Amino acid sequence: MNNILELKNIQKSYHTKEGEILAIKEINLNINKGEIISLVGPSGCGKSTLLSIICGLDKFDKGIINKDNNLKIGYMLQSDALLPFLTIYENAILGLKLQNNLTKDRLKYVDYLLKLYNLDEFKNNYPTSLSGGMKQRLALIRTLAINPDILLLDEPFSALDQQSRLMISDDVYKIIKKEKKTVILVTHNIEDATIFSDRVIILSKRPAIIKNIININLENNDSIYERRKDKNFNKYFDLIWKDLDNNDQ
Amino acid sequence: MTNEHKRYLLKLRTYKLKVFFFQLLIIISFLGLWEVLVNIGFLNAFIYSSPSRIIMTIIDLIKTNNLFIHIYITLKEVLISFILGLSLGFIIALILYEWPFLAKILDPFLTMINSLPKVALGPLIIIICGANIKSIILMALLINLIINVISIYNGFLGTNEYQLKLFKSLNASKYQILTKLVIPSSYRTIISSLKLCISQTLIGVIMGEFLVSKQGIGYLIVYGKQVFNLNLVMTGIIILAIISFILYKLIIILEKKLLKNI
Repeated sequence: MNNILELKNIQKSYHTKEGEILAIKEINLNINKGEIISLVGPSGCGKSTLLSIICGLDKFDKGIINKDNNLKIGYMLQSDALLPFLTIYENAILGLKLQNNLTKDRLKYVDYLLKLYNLDEFKNNYPTSLSGGMKQRLALIRTLAINPDILLLDEPFSALDQQSRLMISDDVYKIIKKEKKTVILVTHNIEDATIFSDRVIILSKRPAIIKNIININLENNDSIYERRKDKNFNKYFDLIWKDLDNNDQ
Repeated sequence: MTNEHKRYLLKLRTYKLKVFFFQLLIIISFLGLWEVLVNIGFLNAFIYSSPSRIIMTIIDLIKTNNLFIHIYITLKEVLISFILGLSLGFIIALILYEWPFLAKILDPFLTMINSLPKVALGPLIIIICGANIKSIILMALLINLIINVISIYNGFLGTNEYQLKLFKSLNASKYQILTKLVIPSSYRTIISSLKLCISQTLIGVIMGEFLVSKQGIGYLIVYGKQVFNLNLVMTGIIILAIISFILYKLIIILEKKLLKNI
């Protein structure tokens, strides 16, 4: 597999009046094209900071990030971050508009996604008329519309109820598999990490270092429901849980 | 439509009508009591005037073609000061938002100017601008500008952090962030600040008219006091109350229209 992103000795500190807090310490990570990896670790360990660094929103103190300058990054946040003053369609094409990329092909793709997720009939409505699950689907469409090379998903399902969570995570899984997207998923949920990933990166308590990397090898790749039924699912779940549990000791 | 829903709508309408009825009752009782107390001599008609005397004064002002010119002048001054205050407030808030360092430097000065009684600057304004409309508009501006700056600036600062992060992750330029996110997100705050701005502008204009004008409702009140025609003073106050109410209602209608989808 081709390497799409490489993090070398990434280090990041925060400065406050009280002193310096080392948030991330020497993270080394290679991400291959088409690979889905999950970052798991205790709360506040620096998972989201690492995503922000990869996305270029946050600066880092030491290290190197090797990536193609034209690498398109799609960032899906914990909050749907929909703009209430834009219609559903305008929200879906927001990224394309900001990047001056309103081509026929991209707009056609947005229409296809809106239809696929049953949002096309509401496209002239405003986001207030959508349920939490539908809003997160729209956020996914907005992220995919720009055709990103790599998708950064920062706890994208955490604000959803259990039913919406299962449905949307399945939608996300199917589309990233179908389109062979490279994904970095930040999650607290061991189940999500196990079902989604090819590799799970376990981070330590702050300052974050990579504590363990677990390669996941579940046989079925059709849907998250099928992957959960895999005979090895519990084994991987326990391995991740054990590593996380050790974090707290 | 089900019977339950019809009953619900009827209940809503009845509630609105009840509120309106009691509002009307308060006004009629107040005016009626005022008229009666003056007529039985409990209140001095020379000082307190009365609703019937105010109506007669209004009729006289209409007959002498004076009423509408005074209203027109005051409204013109209010409109100019309102638009200027809002535009300048918006621009200054934008500058402060774009340069947080400048905002930090100016913060205590804004607070100081905001709490300063502007009427104290009256004599200075007259000396600088002269006894003309410029002084009136400057007085109104001094009153509404800082409030506009503070409320619009706070609106900008309240932009959702996730939406900001999203725009940055999409490589939006500073200009795009400002025009497509920060400003539209602040519509609600800006429009809400219009209500405060219109009442503050009216206060500023009347204060200015007290000081320098030869026309306008403020002038009518001062002139009435000078010639001891307190019917004229009361008429000015009542007209001012009506203008203030109409302007406020207009802003509410505008607010409803602009915020329909937000």
